[in-house]
Amino acid sequence: MTPAKTASPAALLAQVADERGTGALIVGGQPGGAVFVVDGRIIYAESPAAPGVGELLTSSGRLAGRTWQNALDLGTSTARVGKLLVEQGHLTQGELELCVLGAIYDAAYFVLAPASAPVEFLAGATHWLGAVVQIDPAAVTKEVGRRVRLLAEIFPDARVDTMAVTVMPRPPREVVTVNAFQWELLINADGQRTPADLALLLGRAGYATIQELRRMAATGLLELPDVRPDGPEFVRLPRARGTSVDATRPALVNGAPVAGGRAVVPGAVAAPGLAAPGLPTPGLVPAPDPPPSGSPNGGTVYRPPRLARRKPGAKLPKEIAADTTQIHQGTDEVLLTRIRTALRALR
Amino acid sequence: MPGVDHCLQEAMAIPGAVGASIVDYTTGFPVATTGAAPNSDHEAAAAGTADVVQAATSRSLFVSAVPHDMLEDLIITTAGGYHLLRVVQTDFDSRLVLYVWLDRVQGNLAVARRRMQKLADDLVVA
Repeated sequence: MTPAKTASPAALLAQVADERGTGALIVGGQPGGAVFVVDGRIIYAESPAAPGVGELLTSSGRLAGRTWQNALDLGTSTARVGKLLVEQGHLTQGELELCVLGAIYDAAYFVLAPASAPVEFLAGATHWLGAVVQIDPAAVTKEVGRRVRLLAEIFPDARVDTMAVTVMPRPPREVVTVNAFQWELLINADGQRTPADLALLLGRAGYATIQELRRMAATGLLELPDVRPDGPEFVRLPRARGTSVDATRPALVNGAPVAGGRAVVPGAVAAPGLAAPGLPTPGLVPAPDPPPSGSPNGGTVYRPPRLARRKPGAKLPKEIAADTTQIHQGTDEVLLTRIRTALRALR
Repeated sequence: MPGVDHCLQEAMAIPGAVGASIVDYTTGFPVATTGAAPNSDHEAAAAGTADVVQAATSRSLFVSAVPHDMLEDLIITTAGGYHLLRVVQTDFDSRLVLYVWLDRVQGNLAVARRRMQKLADDLVVA
C-alpha cells in the first residue's frame, strides 16, 4: 500500500495499469471516489457524485430494494453480487454489463478528472460486485478527458457541477424548451439539493445530470451567484452610542498626551445634547466617524468609545441595560429538555 | 447468456453487416464496438451517432408528435450503405443505441431492422 499523497489520480492509475496491479485506487477530495483494478484493468469505479449500480437499478424500479439487499447479503463476502443477480434471473447479462459499464464511466469522470487530489493505492482490495466487465484504464482516462472538454464546450463554469441548484424564478426568454430530464431537474431543484443529490434522487447518471445542468445554465435557467472578489471580509460594527463616549480622555499623539488637555471627538460631543441617541438628525454626524487622516489641528485622534467605569454590582445605564433584557426565557429549557431526551435515548 | 459482446456478434451476423457498436448517446461514447467503422474510427462514428440521436430527440418534434410516443429507429441510407440506429430501452437510466453499418448491396434494410429490434430487446429482457 502506498501512503496517501497528493498526485494526479489518472497518472497513478496509468502506473498501476503498467504494473498490472490489483486493488483499489482511493481518491480523496471533492467528490472523490475509488477505482477498482484487477490485473491492471478496471472492473468498477464509484464516487459519491455518481449513483452506483445498486442505486441505478433500485431507484428506477428495475430491482426491488429487497432483491438487491438479498444479493448484497449473499454475495458481498465472495465478491460475486453481479453474478448472483444474473444467476437468480433478476437481470440479464446484457443489462448488468450495460449498467456496470455506464456506472464505471460515470464515476470515473468524478474520480479521475481532478488534476491533483490525495490518492492512495490499496493493493489487493476487491469490490463486492465482482468483475462483470474489464476495461482498459487508458480508454477510461481518454474518455474522462473528452467528457471534461464536452462540458466546457456547453458552458464553461464548473460551479454548476457542485453548487446547490437554484432555478431562476423568471425565465430569461418568452419561450423556453426543456426536455424530459431537464424538467425533472427543474421540478426537483429546491435550492438545497446539489447536482449529486439530484442524480441520486432521480437515479440518473451523475455526468448526464451535470451535462443537462450546464445546458440549462447556458440557457440562463439557473441562478449563479456572482463571484466574490478575494479580500477581507468587511463586518458592520455596531454604532457607537453618543453618551458612552469618553470625551474627557486625552487623545494620544505619538504616545504623549496632547498639549492643551481635552481632545475633542468631532460629532460625539454635540450629539447627545441636540438629538436623542440612536436617532440620527439630518445634518448631524450620528456616530463618531473616524476623522480624515489629515486632521487640521493634528491633535484630534479617534479612539473607540469606551463605557464609563462601573463599580462591581452596579447597574448598567438604563439605555444599555434595556437591550440585554430581551432574553427568550423558554429557549434554554426547551433545548435542555431535548438534549436530555437525546442522551436518554443513547443509553 | 446474451451479454454485450454476444449481442454485437449477433449484429455482425446480420446479412451485409460491416460493423456494429453500442453507443451512449448522451456523451457520444462507444461502450462496445466490433468490426469496421466509417473512416475506421469508432469514436468519431459514436460522436456522430450521438449528434443524430440528439437532433431527433431534442431538437425536432417528430418523436413527440403523439403522447407517449418514443424513438425506436433512425435509419440513414447512403449510396454505399445503410446506417441503422436502434434505441436500447433499459429500465434503469442508460440512454444507449445499437448501431449497425450495412453494406448497400448485401444488406436488406427490412431484415436488418427486424433483427436489430430483437437483438436490442433480448439484450435487456430475460
